[in-house]
Amino acid sequence: MTNSDKNRLKDKAFQVFGIFCTLIGLVVLAVFLIDILIKGLGRIDWEFLTSLPSRRAARAGILTAWAGTLWILVLTTIIAFPLGVSAGVYLEEYARKNRLSNFLEINISNLAGVPSIIYGLLGMEIFVRQMGLGGSLLSGALTLSLLILPIIIVTTREAIKAVPGSIRDGSYALGASKWQTVWNQVLPASFGGILTGIILALSRAVGEAAPLIVIGALAYVPFIPSSPLDEFTVLPIQIFNWTSRPQEAFLINAAAAIIMLLFITFLLNGIAVYLRNKQQKKIKW
Amino acid sequence: MAKNNIKLEAKNLNAYYGDFKALKDITISMEEKAVTAFIGPSGCGKSTFLRTLNRMNDYIDGFRTEGDILLDGKDIYDKNIRVDELRKEVGMVFQKPNPFPKTIFENVVYGLKIQGIKNKAHLEEAAEKSLRQTALWEEVKDKMHKSALALSGGQQQRLCIARALAISPSVILMDEPTSALDPISTAKIEELIYELKNDYTIVIVTHNMQQAGRVSDNTAFFYMGELIEFGKTKTIFTSPSNDRTQNYITGRFG
Amino acid sequence: MSHIDKELKQIQEKLLEMWDLVEYQLISSREALLHHDLVLAERVVKLGKKVNRYDTKIDRQCENFFALFTPVAVDLRQILATIKINANLERIGDTAEGICRIVKKLNGPLSEPLAQESRLLEMYDITLVMLADARKVLTNYDADTAHAILKQDKVINKIYRKSDKTLVDFMHQNPANVATGLQLYTLIKKMERVGDQITNITEEIIFYHDAKMIKHRSDKKKKNRNKDDN
Repeated sequence: MTNSDKNRLKDKAFQVFGIFCTLIGLVVLAVFLIDILIKGLGRIDWEFLTSLPSRRAARAGILTAWAGTLWILVLTTIIAFPLGVSAGVYLEEYARKNRLSNFLEINISNLAGVPSIIYGLLGMEIFVRQMGLGGSLLSGALTLSLLILPIIIVTTREAIKAVPGSIRDGSYALGASKWQTVWNQVLPASFGGILTGIILALSRAVGEAAPLIVIGALAYVPFIPSSPLDEFTVLPIQIFNWTSRPQEAFLINAAAAIIMLLFITFLLNGIAVYLRNKQQKKIKW
Repeated sequence: MAKNNIKLEAKNLNAYYGDFKALKDITISMEEKAVTAFIGPSGCGKSTFLRTLNRMNDYIDGFRTEGDILLDGKDIYDKNIRVDELRKEVGMVFQKPNPFPKTIFENVVYGLKIQGIKNKAHLEEAAEKSLRQTALWEEVKDKMHKSALALSGGQQQRLCIARALAISPSVILMDEPTSALDPISTAKIEELIYELKNDYTIVIVTHNMQQAGRVSDNTAFFYMGELIEFGKTKTIFTSPSNDRTQNYITGRFG
Repeated sequence: MSHIDKELKQIQEKLLEMWDLVEYQLISSREALLHHDLVLAERVVKLGKKVNRYDTKIDRQCENFFALFTPVAVDLRQILATIKINANLERIGDTAEGICRIVKKLNGPLSEPLAQESRLLEMYDITLVMLADARKVLTNYDADTAHAILKQDKVINKIYRKSDKTLVDFMHQNPANVATGLQLYTLIKKMERVGDQITNITEEIIFYHDAKMIKHRSDKKKKNRNKDDN
């Protein structure tokens, strides 16, 4: 066998191995999805979506859970969006490149990797106890905002970096100030990227149960929250709660709720992909 | 040398990027309503010098200058000069066409809008005027509200010139404005420069010696951060007095 | 009109101004000769300086044009032609000036019969027509006229070749007037040169417009070419 034959064989072997690895991930996901769908799809109906939780599995619904999830989503967006984008803009456009900005950069990247339970503990100490917000929607949203801020900051910076320097030059050369350049050129041009990052961050936040449990979100909330200071539950907590019960019927409920949670996550990811494609089509540098 | 007034001049200008001295003791006067070309090999400091003329280097960390640059006799690096006001007077066109990812109309009136001008009729009038000046009006008048990125490279560059003209500067700096364009678009831009010098003082950096010959009245040759020779383009191109200038323009080095 | 065209037009205008001066010099040299007009002769000589300034100026303009515009194709040919036309025009001007210097040395006007017999005036007339035609061809090109000019030069050459005998006869019959005969011979020779120079100019114009090099072709080929044209 010649060397080149050997190389070709190795090449082939690795290709097969690569396909196998890829398939493992896909198969596991498919098995999981199929299992969930078989169990839960039949349970989803209008009543399931609009019923309050109940001790009896057949009458229990996820109204409060998805309403809580929606509240959390909106509040988190309102809090994290301006903070994250502003921080990203500052670091990318304004901050001088020195030790302090390097230090900040490294720490923000590190924060993105901190386990979410730690954020939960932080939120409990600061928002729930020190600020006295209790186990409210606001505490939850603030905690999740902290969790996703690093992601938003990093993606904002990436999106801003992708705006060519020539656009800034063009704006400055026409007498625009830094703020005018950022507001009129940089942000509109990078908006698609920023939005994508935020949506992806939110879809992560939607799936979080641990930090919210830590700050004291309840599993059983018999009403739809009407203000940010109300107590709440969210889908992941509801799912967690149901799966820890012994009755088979609650497991089916959990499967149905998982389908809803996945639906929300996929929807958000879908929007993100759509926006990114649209942005790419609109702007060709 | 000059029969016209001096519009822009540098006196004993030194410029540094950190510890690197990019410009060494440059003294030069640029005539009003004439084209001055800067030529020289890459890294000779010609672009750096051009960018000091409207302080585009301000945002570069570690960049600083010594000496004076006078616009109509006033030092543009003076503390009392506001850089945005300076840039209204000294427009700039870049190497690669860089229209904003907005409509053609928005591109042309951008400079006016950031000055706070909102009157629509006034903006439209200004847009038409500067598009006519750059001979672009007939080509784009029916698609003013379409994206500027759909234009050809040459049209984009003329749009960028129109955009600079819209805020009525008196000086236009051009940093290799045709290096990214095909020969026909290049010829159009050169014709445009020839027309524009009736009303504007133009300073152009070019790698293309023939272009310097065709469009400029005066030519400055830079080498290693120094101004080697400056004079009438005719003189520089027929009988340069410095050997390095001669070697460069005849293509023997650089 | 584009920038390069404006420059070319300027150079052409300068050349035409010079042309007019030279034409005036040539016509005036004829008048001065016929009427022994010393004032006019002096004026022609003085005009020579002005023509020389034009010559220098046009050369300078062409040099700059090469340096600044690096012309190619038709622009290149136009400038090359201009340089050579300029040189030839200057020589024609010099010749007219030379004739006037001779006029100043003559004791009186050229005797009409002698002028007729030697066909000097005929040479003058033909040359002036050739010069005027060449100018027309330069500003408004027409291949037929251009080639007709070249043919006219043949007539001049023929007159020149025959003039030997006429003048030798004249000097035999008038031994006292040998000096006049020699001066007349010089004049005829000068006119023959002028004919050649106008031919050169015409050849340059043809080169500029048709990109065809026709000088130094044998006469046979030129004739063939003419046949091809017809």
